[in-house]
Order: sequence, then C-alpha cells, then structure tokens
Amino acid sequence: MNLLVLLVIVAALAALQLVATRWVTVNRLAWMAVWWVAIYLGLAYGINPPLPSSIIVLFMAIVTLALAVYLSADSDELASAVQTVTAFIVEKRFRVALLTVLAVLPLLVALKVYTNLSNPPQPPSSSRTIHPPPPASIIFDGTAIDLATANNPYRELEHTDPAAFAQHVENGRRVYFENCFYCHGDNMQGAGMFAHGYDPIPANFNDPTTIAMLQESYLFWRIAKGAPGLPSESTPWSSAMPAWENFLTEEEIWDVIIFLYEFTGYEPRAQGMPH
Amino acid sequence: MKQYVLFIAALVLPLGALGQDLGTPEQLQSGAALYEAKCAHCHGAAGDANSVATAYLRPAPRDFTSGQYKFRTTGSGELPTTEDIKRSIRDGMPYTSMPLWKGILSESEMEDLAYYLKTFSGDFDGPYGNPEVITIPRAPTYDEGNLARGREVFEANQCADCHGENGRGNGPSALDLEDEWGYPIRPADMTKRWTFRASATREDIYRTFTTGLNGTPMPSYQQTIDEQDRWALVDYVWSLSEDEPNYGTVVTAVGTAGALDISQGAALFADAPRAYFPIVGQLIEPGRSFYPGVNGIAVQAIYNQNEIALLLSWHDMTAEVDGANHPGLVVPPFDPATADTAAGPFSDALALLWPAETPDGLERPYFMFGDAKNAMSIWFTDLATDSAAVLMGRGSASIAATGATLAHYASYEDGAWTVIMKGPRQFDSGLYMAEAAFTPVSFSVWDGLNQERGNKRGLAAWYHLYLLPMETQSAALPMAKWALIALLIELLLVGVVHWRHRRSAT
Repeated sequence: MNLLVLLVIVAALAALQLVATRWVTVNRLAWMAVWWVAIYLGLAYGINPPLPSSIIVLFMAIVTLALAVYLSADSDELASAVQTVTAFIVEKRFRVALLTVLAVLPLLVALKVYTNLSNPPQPPSSSRTIHPPPPASIIFDGTAIDLATANNPYRELEHTDPAAFAQHVENGRRVYFENCFYCHGDNMQGAGMFAHGYDPIPANFNDPTTIAMLQESYLFWRIAKGAPGLPSESTPWSSAMPAWENFLTEEEIWDVIIFLYEFTGYEPRAQGMPH
Repeated sequence: MKQYVLFIAALVLPLGALGQDLGTPEQLQSGAALYEAKCAHCHGAAGDANSVATAYLRPAPRDFTSGQYKFRTTGSGELPTTEDIKRSIRDGMPYTSMPLWKGILSESEMEDLAYYLKTFSGDFDGPYGNPEVITIPRAPTYDEGNLARGREVFEANQCADCHGENGRGNGPSALDLEDEWGYPIRPADMTKRWTFRASATREDIYRTFTTGLNGTPMPSYQQTIDEQDRWALVDYVWSLSEDEPNYGTVVTAVGTAGALDISQGAALFADAPRAYFPIVGQLIEPGRSFYPGVNGIAVQAIYNQNEIALLLSWHDMTAEVDGANHPGLVVPPFDPATADTAAGPFSDALALLWPAETPDGLERPYFMFGDAKNAMSIWFTDLATDSAAVLMGRGSASIAATGATLAHYASYEDGAWTVIMKGPRQFDSGLYMAEAAFTPVSFSVWDGLNQERGNKRGLAAWYHLYLLPMETQSAALPMAKWALIALLIELLLVGVVHWRHRRSAT
C-alpha cells in the first residue's frame, strides 16, 4: 500500500464532493468519469509492490462494467447521461471541444503504441504456487510416510519431557546453523548471505503465510524432498531448496522443524485441519 | 538513583574503573539472553567463535574474547566504543554471514548486546577500556580533481601490494594474508564497494584508512597519511566502483551481419550492453561451497545469422592455469577450507548452462546441471586448457561429453578473467536461439585456488538471454494503424449519434 497516494486520491475526491455540493452541479456521468480515474490512479500508483498491468486492465474492465450497470440502473439518469453525450456531439457550441477530443484520442493511442514498442521486452515471468498440495505419502529412506497423518514424533515431549524436548530444539538449532542459514538467514527472514543469488528467493519463516499456516508433515515433505520433489506449478527447476534426505536423518529433519517453530514463536497447524 | 550517581561519577572522575561504559546488570542480563537467542549460533556460547557454523564460514565469525573489532571510531589496536559495537550489530557486515539487525532488534536491545559482548574480553574493564574517540569529519564532496593525488597516495603506501594495481583485491601479497586467528583472508575488491565490510560511505572509507580494521591485515594510516591525502585516497577508491552492483536478469545480445572474430577479445563486444549477475555458493548437492571465490560475473553477448558469442568476465585473485577441472569431479560431502596458498590440483573453469532443447512453456532443466527429464547443454571451458567443449548434463552425477567443441578465447589480466565462448544458435540437441526471443541461461564459475571443482563451485540462478532483433521495426506503421482505427471508431460513434439525434428530432 502506498498510503500517501491513496490519501491524496481520497482527499481529492472529498474536495470535489465539497465543490460539487456547494457551487456547481456535476452530473452522474462526470462523477463516474472521476471515479473511474480515481480507481485507476489508486490501482496504478497506490499499491506497492505495483500490480502487473494485465491485472490493472482486468480490474478496470470490471470497474467500467460496474459503472455502466450503475448508470443504466436508473432510466432517468441514463437518459440524462445519453442527453449529455448527444449534446456534446451535436451542438455547435461544443464543436471545438469535440474536434479536439476527436484529434487527441488517436494521438494518445499512437503514443501508447509507441511506448509499448520502445519498452524493452520482458522475459517470460513464471507465476509460482508457493504452497503446492503435498503428495499423499512420501518414501523416506525406504519407509513410506503418510503426510496426512504423520506427526512430529518429538512434539509430544514438549509436555511429557521438557528436558528431552529442549535437546531436540538444540539439535535443530545445530542443524539449522550448519545447513539452512546461508539462505534462510540468521533471523529466518529468508535473507541469508546467499539469498540474493537464488530465484525464487528463500522462504521467510517469520511471514505468517509460511510455516505458521502449515502442518509439520508438510514441512517434512518440503525439507526432505526439496526442489526436485515439487510439482511443476512450483517451478522445481529453479528452486534451490536441496532434497535434505541426502544430508540429514529423519530425526534431524523433525528436530529442525521443531527449532523453526521455537525460534519464530509460531505453532504448527494441527494435523487433520484442512490445508 | 544508582545510574544517576554513576553518570555524575563518569563526568567528574578521570578514566578509571568508574568511568567505563560497561552497562547496568539489567542491560547485561538482557544482552545475555539476546546473545543466546541470536548470536551464539555463530559466535559461540563463550563468545570465542567456537560454534557449529564457524567451520563453514569465511570470513569466520568474530572471536569477541580478543576485543578486536573491525568497525571502530578509535585508534588502531584500540577497543571499540559501545556505539561502535552497536553499529556493527545494526548494519551487519555486507557479503558475510553477519546480517544487519536493524529492524529486528531495537536500539536498546542492540545496546544491551553491545554491553554483553564487552564482557567476553577482560580488556574493557582494564586501563584501556575507554579509548579516545576519533571524530570522523563530514566528507567533502567527491572531487575528480583529487584522483591524480589519490592515485599517488595509493602507490606511495603500497595499497596495490594487497588490493592490486587496479584495486581488484589481487595484489602480490593477497595470497598470503591471514587474519589474527590464522584464517586466510582476502583483501577488499575496491571495484565492488557494496562488499566493503565496515560500510561504504565516504566517511566510512576515510575511517577505515584512519583506524584500520583490527584483527585483519588492514593497518591504520592515521600517522602516515595526512588528512587531506586521506580524503584524496577516498576519492580515488570511490572512483573505482559503482554504488550498487545493479544485478541484472537479462543479457541482451546485439546482432551483427559480419563474422564473429572472437580473437579480438573484449573489443568485439564494445557495442553489447553489459549485465552483471550474482554468483553464490552451490549448497544444494554434496560438495557444498560455503565460501565461493567469485561473487559476481559480467556478461555481454553478440550474435550473427548462425552463431552466438558470449563474453564473461569476473574477478579472481589469481589465475589457476595448472591442474585440471571438470563439472563431474566428485567432491567429499564436507570439504573443509584449506589455506589459500595451498597449490591445489584444480584449475579455474567456467560453464555456460542452457536447456538442451527449446523449453516448452516455462519448464526447463534443473538449474544446476539438468535433470533426468530435461537435459542441460553445458558449454564448459577448463581454463588450464586451450579448449571449450559441449557437455550434456542430466543431473550432476550424469555429465557426459558430446564430442562437440566450441571456439573460445580466454585471457587473465590484473585480477580479471575474460572468457569468450562461441557456438551455433542452433544446438545439435535442439535448442534454437531465435531473434526477439528469450533463452534461459545460467553460469557456473570455479576458483581453483579455493579448491573448487565438480559441484563445489559458484553458481547462478536461471537468467535470460535476449536476442535484440537486428532490424528493428519502425513504430510509425503500427502507430498510424492504431490511430486510424481509433479515429474510425470515433467517427462511427459521432455519426451514429448524429443520425439518431436527427431521427428523434423529425
């Protein structure tokens, strides 16, 4: 969100409203044009990171349609709007304005074509599914693990044997700082020393949309199978996430999962809840 | 009340036990908890850098028991101030594993931590615990008129011995440098200001000349270079680098009608735009590379009717042109750091990586060395040899020669490799690089000095090569076409309105 831009837009609309109620009558058509422009400016400049232009075009098409429906909902207003347009086109006193509009619009179109052609072309962008649906089960070290029912075997120690649990946290810490922090970073923000060189960038575990909304078995799958285990909608060919089954034991993976939750303060999503 | 008394005491007493800035017990307690949670993983529970991470990190995490800090506003060999330690925590050390904690820890938490770090070294409550602060003046604006003098100062003080003739970190002494703890350390590459450890504002560069970097071979020049000359040297160092690496995502290849005579070297690429890409360690498969010798690569490309040539250049402290290298060499799962001076059996090498076939949609081979489903075509040159060849990769355990060779050119000069590889736009394996199309491309670099071979290497993500069309279509025709269409729609609308108006009037 670019709050400053949005505030300016809202302030401009409010000022216009004030002017319209006090001094001049603005008909519905003009108001709709104002709204259309305001919404466009809000979408194009008020949102950060910027929306792709294709999304803006889509939204503006919906806005245009909605405004048309709004206008045609009241037949008096519709008739008055049609009358305004007709008057602008047929009445002599608008002749100069009409000719200006007729001349300027094609020029704007030509300008748009020019800028489109002179912009350097953009490489194909890949839309990626961040949390793809996991497979029903995986094979880890020759044993099948059912991801729908698998639980972290050391999780219950948190209540039954806190000292043993603390040892798993410590072991997870060791695993993390021997293996993960180069990319996921010291503070688990996905900003490790090598993060800038990989695309997609490493996951930020502090972000509430990553581990906070996932089950531990899901993390086990993503850690054990890494990029090669991803379905194609998640671009397995560019992810730098290693298949940690090649480096770590099952216990080490469960321990580092415990450490991720301990460090960030999040709770894993309970098993059995819909993903 | 106690703080109040301490404060008064600090004001009125000369330097001594009471004047030292060691924090309150509450601050130390808070600092200890923060240290345990955020710092001990790398710097060790006892602050002595004895941790699980140290073996994997170069530069190694700082040993706080020594009291040696790189960033200081105090004289060479002196202890830092609390504010100095805070700033190291706040801003981190770029291009090392020390992150910036700004935005994660509050100012008071960083202060608590700074006080706690002081407890690891007995020196802070000793007689030198509160050293005099050197005030760093505000930097004068950059003055090109100073460059000649700055270069003279650079030469007179033998900066090139470590940093190299053109500041690329490749001086004759660079190879033997060790830090206080005996770990190999590399001099800063002055052409990459963004990698400077203790920050890279003009004031910071001046401060580094003035205070030196404790624990490293970088000395203080406070006594030997006067203030004016230090600022001239700042201007000279400033002139060697861009502000930012400006990492790119696309190499734009420009077309030419003639033959691509790569024996001309870099001159052939004078008109091709340069794109710069980050290189990071390979951490995905066994033979992981935690401290790659190369951290960035510049790429330019040109093409003609049938061929494409790419120029790749990167900074490397020394050229390893003895020994051998190959992407398929097997590396043990953990390959510890060896001293940089060790004459290794591995040479420098470079690979350009392409999808073997034109990708169907977005799918492409795995970005390291391909996978079983999608093969990768690897243009590889071992810089100890005078040849380049096409390999086929189906995963890092399955890299095979195809028998095809490539025209290539390689030169090493003053700390920089310049390598050109030229091949057909139509690969035997199927890939075709069409004009006005994007082709995925990636890069791998091996620094033989760093024992890099096989999977132990610096690598890049997938980027794109774009062949800029040789004949750019004039915009006039499409502009006229669309303007005319717009005009016709307008006229049609006006006509319809007029017609309806007249009809309703009659």
